[in-house]
Amino acid sequence: MNSSSRIVLGIVIIVAVIAGVFAFSQSPSTSNNVPATKNEPIKLGFIGPLTGDGAALGQNARAATEIAVAEVNAAGGIKGRPLEVIYEDGKCTGKEASNAANKLINADNVPVILGGLCSGETNSFAAAAEQAKRVVLSFCSSAPSITQAGDYIFRDYPSDLFQGSFAAKYVYETLGKKKVGIVYVKSDWGSGIKQVFSEEFSKLGGKIVAEEGYDQAARDLRTQLTKIKAAKPDLVYFLGYTEGSTVGLKQAAELKLGVPILGADGWDDPKLFANAGAAAEGVMYTVVSAPLSDAFKAKMKEKTGSEEVLACSPGAYDGVKILAQILASVGTDSTAIKDALYQVNYVGGVSAARVAFDKNGDPVEANYVVKIVKDGKATEVK
Amino acid sequence: MERMFFAQLVANSVIAGALYTLITLGFNLIYGATKFTNMAHGAVAAMGAYGVFFATREGWGLPLSIVAGVLVAGIVGVITDRLVFSPLRKKKARASVFVIASLGIFALLQSILSITFGAQFWPLLPPGTGRVFDIAGASVTEVQLWILGSAVAASGILFILLKFTIFGKVIRALSDDEEVAKMLGINTDRMIGVIFFLGSMLAGLAGILSGFDTGVQPTMGLFLLLEGAVSSIVGGIGSLVGGILGAFLLGFVENFGIWFIASQWKGAIAFGLLTIFLIFRPRGIMGKD
Repeated sequence: MNSSSRIVLGIVIIVAVIAGVFAFSQSPSTSNNVPATKNEPIKLGFIGPLTGDGAALGQNARAATEIAVAEVNAAGGIKGRPLEVIYEDGKCTGKEASNAANKLINADNVPVILGGLCSGETNSFAAAAEQAKRVVLSFCSSAPSITQAGDYIFRDYPSDLFQGSFAAKYVYETLGKKKVGIVYVKSDWGSGIKQVFSEEFSKLGGKIVAEEGYDQAARDLRTQLTKIKAAKPDLVYFLGYTEGSTVGLKQAAELKLGVPILGADGWDDPKLFANAGAAAEGVMYTVVSAPLSDAFKAKMKEKTGSEEVLACSPGAYDGVKILAQILASVGTDSTAIKDALYQVNYVGGVSAARVAFDKNGDPVEANYVVKIVKDGKATEVK
Repeated sequence: MERMFFAQLVANSVIAGALYTLITLGFNLIYGATKFTNMAHGAVAAMGAYGVFFATREGWGLPLSIVAGVLVAGIVGVITDRLVFSPLRKKKARASVFVIASLGIFALLQSILSITFGAQFWPLLPPGTGRVFDIAGASVTEVQLWILGSAVAASGILFILLKFTIFGKVIRALSDDEEVAKMLGINTDRMIGVIFFLGSMLAGLAGILSGFDTGVQPTMGLFLLLEGAVSSIVGGIGSLVGGILGAFLLGFVENFGIWFIASQWKGAIAFGLLTIFLIFRPRGIMGKD
C-alpha cells in the first residue's frame, strides 16, 4: 500500500478509536426512569454461574428465579406489566461477573441486579452498581466484606461472620476437635470464612495448626494437603468451590489424610459428590438452613426433576417475590427501590422465617445446619 | 522433617519431574530441529487429553482411547507444522516470528477445545479408579506410577532411537546443522514434520497422564507448557539429557521449596529458578554456548 493510502488508513483508525473511547466513557445513566408504557415488561438482571464452578448452584437458583417470575406474572405481573429477568453467566469469577453487570446496567438499563451468587462475582461489580445507583440483591454471596459494599448493595443470604463462627463452635464443641488444618480457596468467599473461623476457633481455645491457600483455578492440591497432613490436625476445614474441591477431596483420600473433613456452603452441589465419589463419603459441611415450604419444594422438583433444593435457590426465589412487591408499590426508580428495601419485613418466605435488612443491607437472621455426605447424597445431621 | 513427610515430598518431586520430562522431551526434540520454542506444545498436550476424553465418552474403552489421544496429539502437531511452520521456514522467517505464530496456535487450539467441550473441569477417570500404594511412607497412586513409567520408557526409547538407528542419526544431523543436512540429501522439511509428530505424541501422552492424574480443562496446556519450557531452559535448551535433568530439578525445587514457604507460591518457585538460571547460567545445565 503506498504512503498516502497508509496515511488515510491511519487517520481513519485514529478517528475510530477516539470515537470508540468517547462512546464507552459515557457514564451510565443514574436514573432509569423509563416512562411506563402499558404492557412493556419490567426487566431485572440476574448474575450467577451458569457454567464452571458452582454451575449446579447457579442453574438451580435460576430455576427458582424462573418459578418466582412465573408466579408473579400469573398473578397479574407488576400492575399489569410482565416481569422479565435477563440471565447472565458470571462463571463464579470477578472478570465475567463484572462484564455481565456492565452489560446489564448500561445496555439493558435494569434497576436491579439479582446476584451475584459467588462473593467474588458480587464484589467485582458492587462498586460500579453503587456508582450507577442500581440496586444489587445477592441471594448467595456470603463474604463479610459485602456488608460494607454500599448503600445500594443488599443480600438475603447471611454474612460468613455467622458461618465461620458457627463452624468454629461446631468443630470445637460438638465434634470436640481442638487442632484444625485449613485448606482454602483464595477468593473473597474462601479467605473471608477462613479469617472468621481462625479467629473464632482460636478464641474458643482451639489451635489452627496449618493454613494453606490455593488459587481458584488450581487443580492440584497435593502440596497443600501434604503440608496439612504433616501438621497433624484432628480435622481439616476445607473451603472450596466445586471444581477445586472435586480434585482436593480425591487427593486428600489418596494422601490418606485420615481425619474428618468439614466444608462450607460452597459444597452444596450434588455434582461435587458425584465426581468425587468415595472420596466424599463422610465429609460434612455447613450450609444456611432455610424453612423451605412444601409448595416450593414441589415446584422445584417439577422444574428441575430433583428433590434437592440447593443452597442459593431460596434466597433467589424470595428475592424475586420481595422485589415484585416493591416494584408494584414504588415503581422502577432504583433509588426508590433501595429505600423501600430497607423497610422490608417479609414473612412466610422460603429462605428464612423473616426477611428484613439491617442498616448495611444484610439479612437480620442467620441459621445454619450441618450436612453429611453418604452414598453421594447430603443429608442433615440431626 | 519427619520421615513420612520427607518421603511424600520426594515422591511428589519425582512424579512432577517425570511429568515435566515427558513435556520437555517433545519440546527439546522440536527445538533441536527447528531452533525455536514451540509454545503450541502445551495446547497439543491438551488435545491429547481431550482426545481421550472424547473417546471414553463415546465408549471406546481405555486402551483404545489412549492410543487415539496420542495419535490425535501427533496429528495436530504435524498439521501445525505443515500449515504454519513449514511455510514460515520456506520464507526464512526469524525465530521470533515462529514463537509468535506458535502462541497464536496455542490460543486457537485452546479456544477450539473450549468451544467444543465447554470450559468446565472434568475428571478423566471415574472416581475410585486405581489403587493407592504406600511406598516408604509416601502415598502414590497408580496413575502416578504410570507417569513415572512412561517417562522412563519414553526417555529410554528415544535415546535408543537417536543413538542406534539411522532415523535417529538423521534427526541428530538435522538438529546439528540444517543446511549441511540438506546438502547431504536429507529432506529436512519432511523430517521436521516427522519430528513434530513424534514430539507432539509425547506431549499428548503427557497431557493424557496429567488428565488421568487430576482432570481436563481447556486451559490445562498452559501449566504443562510453562513447566516444560522452564525445565528445558534450565536444563539447556535443545539438550534432551538437559531437559530431563531440568525437569527433575524443577520438580524437586518446587516440592521441597514449599516446606519453607507457603504452598501457593509453588508456581513462583518455578519462575524463580528460571530467573536464577537466566542470570547466572543462561545456557542451562547442559547447554552449549
